[in-house]
Amino acid sequence: MRTVAATVLPRPVAAALALVAALIPVTVPAVTGATPACAAATGPHAALVIDTGAGAHPFCVALDATSVSGIHLIELAGAQDHLAYGFGSGGQAVCRLAGVGPQGDDCFADYPDYWGYWHGDGRGGWTWSSSGAASTRVGDGALDAWVWGSGDSGATHPKPPSLGIDDVCVPATATPAPPPPATRSTPPPPSSGVRPSASPSSAGSSRPSTARPATPSTAGPVTAAPSERGSPTVAAFAAAQGPPPSGGPGPGLLVALVLGMALAGGGWLRLRSARRGRSIG
Amino acid sequence: MRDRRTVHPMAWIVWATSAGFVAFVTTDPVYLFLLWAVSWFVYASHRVDADHARSFRLFLTGATVAVALRTGLVFFGTVSAANTTFSFLEGLRLGTILVIFGTFNAVTDPFGLVRMAPRHLHEPALAAALALSIAPRTVAGVGRVREAQRMRGIRVHGARALPALAVPVLERGMEEAHTLAESMDARGHGAGPRSRYRPQPWTPAAVLIAVAAIVAAATFLAASAGGWAVLHPQTSPITWPEADPLLLVAIGLLAAPGFVRRTRP
Repeated sequence: MRTVAATVLPRPVAAALALVAALIPVTVPAVTGATPACAAATGPHAALVIDTGAGAHPFCVALDATSVSGIHLIELAGAQDHLAYGFGSGGQAVCRLAGVGPQGDDCFADYPDYWGYWHGDGRGGWTWSSSGAASTRVGDGALDAWVWGSGDSGATHPKPPSLGIDDVCVPATATPAPPPPATRSTPPPPSSGVRPSASPSSAGSSRPSTARPATPSTAGPVTAAPSERGSPTVAAFAAAQGPPPSGGPGPGLLVALVLGMALAGGGWLRLRSARRGRSIG
Repeated sequence: MRDRRTVHPMAWIVWATSAGFVAFVTTDPVYLFLLWAVSWFVYASHRVDADHARSFRLFLTGATVAVALRTGLVFFGTVSAANTTFSFLEGLRLGTILVIFGTFNAVTDPFGLVRMAPRHLHEPALAAALALSIAPRTVAGVGRVREAQRMRGIRVHGARALPALAVPVLERGMEEAHTLAESMDARGHGAGPRSRYRPQPWTPAAVLIAVAAIVAAATFLAASAGGWAVLHPQTSPITWPEADPLLLVAIGLLAAPGFVRRTRP
């Protein structure tokens, strides 16, 4: 406690540290790009189901630890399968998935519509999550689902389609050939809205000036299967997202910069002329 | 001392409230840094005198420290790019409000504000004016006491010089407050009919400042309620902040005081 306080307290040092710490995250992702897709086909896997309301899309995600948070599961899906996402409240809440959901840090900006969070029982049943995605633990064989819609509880919010872990993550013991379509690619009931390769980003693209997939732009069109245990729908879904456009600063930022410089310079001139006027008069 | 052509204090209250509201509803660094620039411009155009200039610098330092401390709090928990940026933006919002308050302090005469309060609110208004002016008065007091000590050859540096500095500063502050209260009573404030000696006029410039500020605040309120602009940029993963043209114009409106001609007495 004391040592941390001692490092924080000297003002210029703390300010410089804070500035550097604040700038690093801005520059680093832009330079390094996405982390490479997780190559491990074995090891712990969890299923992530994204239901945008226009279609449900399962992802088989390789975990980088025995258990991860629900937030990190989405980040892994972003790194491995190019799922576009955006978090709010400093990375605690889920705002946007697959181009659907509010821009910015306020995840309830589109309320009553928001991303409902569900846990699967592994056999097709779903329960409403009682805690936030940052504090839940997802282990090997677990299922997480996010459904876009309204309703404040599991009773009124739309449920994800009935999917088990084996529907999403084909067991490693299975034959290398794709399993028969009856087990997986057949959408359970058509009424539940499962649509393998539609255009799920259409809702996001209704905001032309701000629509910008959150994944960094190293990935071209997805051609290779993301992982051996992944399902073809994942590749189709990621391809439907399209290659994310390069997320550079918009023209508004340039205008803002010019405006800020003009104001700062104008203020400086005012002060200088006032000082000169005083010294003469 | 009081120039009849200075801006009506009420216009400054409206300006500061509106600018503070704008800073309150957004964590977009574009708008917040622009508010720093706007405050600096307005301060440079309208500062009252050198003592107030010092108090503005005090608030500027305080704002920087607030940003650094708020960001530094992250290091007590899990450090990630997302929550460091998030904390920095939250701190920046707090710092911006402090800078706006510092500007308000530097461009207004706090005791001019007391005169505008309705009679039954006179005492709270006096207390508020004293509280508002505590920073500039203390800074000015420290400067005067140190100068006096230096002239008498008293050492003014180091921790041991602190009591010798603090006592006269506090005493002086107390004395000033007393003098003010007495003089206001003597002029019939707080009791009897309201004095209307040299009322401050609402000049067109003051009206312009107030209206521009209200329009700016209303634009941000509409953006906040209507959701047609991103006021809280996403920090996880980090994206470039947005700069909505309409909101940039709104911030520009807050710089209106800087374009109002201030005739020097």
